[in-house]
Amino acid sequence: MPEPIQPTPIAETGEPQASQLAMPVWLLVLMFLLLYWGMVYFDQHSGWFNTEVYVPYYSLAEVQEFQPPTGGVDLQRGKALFDNVCALCHNPDGMGKPGQAPPFVGSEWVVGPPSRLIRIPLVGLTGPVSVKGQVFTFAASMPPMGASFSNDDLAAVLSYMRQSWGNKAPPVTSDEVKAVRAQIGNRAQPWTPQELMQIPAK
Amino acid sequence: MNHGPVIFLAAFLALTASWFGFVLMPDIQVGGLQQTNMVGVAATYPVERPGLAREGLDVYRANGCASCHSQQVRQSGTVCNVVMTDAGTNRVAVIDVLTQELPDTSRSEIEQMLVGLPKTVLKGSDRPKANRMVRALKSSGAKSSLSIVPVGPDIARGWGKRQTVAEDFLYDDPVMLGSQRIGPDLANVGLREPDARWEYLHLYAPRLEVKGSIMPPFRYLFDERKIGQAPSPDALALPPDLAPPHGYEIVPTRKAQGLVAYLLSLQATAPLFNAPLTVPPSAEPTAQTNAPSKNP
Ligand code: HEC
Ligand code: HEC
Repeated sequence: MPEPIQPTPIAETGEPQASQLAMPVWLLVLMFLLLYWGMVYFDQHSGWFNTEVYVPYYSLAEVQEFQPPTGGVDLQRGKALFDNVCALCHNPDGMGKPGQAPPFVGSEWVVGPPSRLIRIPLVGLTGPVSVKGQVFTFAASMPPMGASFSNDDLAAVLSYMRQSWGNKAPPVTSDEVKAVRAQIGNRAQPWTPQELMQIPAK
Repeated sequence: MNHGPVIFLAAFLALTASWFGFVLMPDIQVGGLQQTNMVGVAATYPVERPGLAREGLDVYRANGCASCHSQQVRQSGTVCNVVMTDAGTNRVAVIDVLTQELPDTSRSEIEQMLVGLPKTVLKGSDRPKANRMVRALKSSGAKSSLSIVPVGPDIARGWGKRQTVAEDFLYDDPVMLGSQRIGPDLANVGLREPDARWEYLHLYAPRLEVKGSIMPPFRYLFDERKIGQAPSPDALALPPDLAPPHGYEIVPTRKAQGLVAYLLSLQATAPLFNAPLTVPPSAEPTAQTNAPSKNP
């Protein structure tokens, strides 16, 4: 009869004990520094909160998508027309060309009363004309272009000019263009600056 | 063992954390908010409430109106509508465009759309689809306009045209947002009930104006006084059972005047960049609330 198997006793080293090892101080400091940095980072990004975006919108792009159409004046189209027509003489950056045409940047004609501005491209302008205190005299005057622009298009060009290159004036509407066309009737002779100044600013 | 320091520390942390969250953070986020421009209208928003209305805010606060009335309209989405205003001269082209853009609509329904303009031809759509529709109609010679329409249960109740945003409360201190809606939301009550006489009578005796109203009357905001040389133009026109004794009249105190001026100034419908909407040509408010029906 075989001997019953006796479990061999495991060599024991006594109960495990928690010792008094302290957490290193640098780890603690590092932890707090990280926590602090995290909070500052979160605050600086304001939790990615944006006062322009409230629910039900989830992104700025979504808010932009729902902006109402801006009453027909299409600055995109205005720029295209400007670059094709007016920029020939006035330069695409609106600075004018020496010997050809005066600048638009900050021009009192451009940012001034629409009733005067609209008249200029409709039947043209003969100088000398003063822009920002400087008097310009050119060999050729500005040709009339009213026939080649619809009211919408002219409003778009002029609005583009009034809101580009640092100009900040309210847009011109196509109704205003229509009204001015009706007022000047079939006049074909270009304006002089003195004549324009007589037009009420409204 | 002495738990004092631990309790102190825990309480301190809990309080500072909520101070950071509820006071400091919101102040960083919207504390520097300024007047903005309305979209499409050359005007700044909001304007400060006139002096009397500003006093009214304190009366509103002191009388606990905010415990029954909220001033925050919520919105669950935004849709685009296209309204055709003029079909132009080329009917065939317009019908072609509409059939193409509205594949689920029958021919006869489309022909119906051309009569009795202006008519909404596209309702509750997204922006790209609405833009396509407007462009297509324009090329066919018809005229149409696209409108941005906020939607949601609060808006369906007639409590506003768009959701309220932080700008609406820029000059209010404190902001009377409220949290319960025992009565209707008041963010736009100035549009809904623009008549000061209605407001006075409603404050004096809500049931005169609204049958079965459970709003408490605020009679102490009114004075009973002897009629002088002539009856005051401000005196309330009360039915016999509420009227003061002969020779006396009920007039609003300055507090009631301020409160009503404040109520009339509650209008949060300006189109803003962060709360876009199209202002309908007729700014006629839809006068419907979930309040019990008005006495005729
Ligand atoms: C053929 C060249 C030419 C073209 C093209 C032209 N202009 Fe001019 N423009 C002139 C000249 C030249 C003057 C100055 C008038 C003068 O001295 O006779 C002028 C003056 C002006 C002025 C007033 C002065 C100023 O600087 O503000 C305005 C406004 C203006 N043009 C607008 C336009 C617009 C808008 C167009 C396009 C639709 C246009 N012009 C196209 C030649 C041109
Ligand atoms: C006990 C809750 C309660 C309090 C407090 C209260 N209201 Fe009301 N209020 C109502 C209820 C309910 C209605 C709806 C019935 C009605 O129109 O009378 C209402 C309706 C209104 C309306 C009409 C709203 C509409 O859409 O036609 C106005 C305005 C109004 N309250 C103003 C006030 C003002 C101002 C105060 C503070 C002086 C105030 N309420 C305090 C419950 C309250």
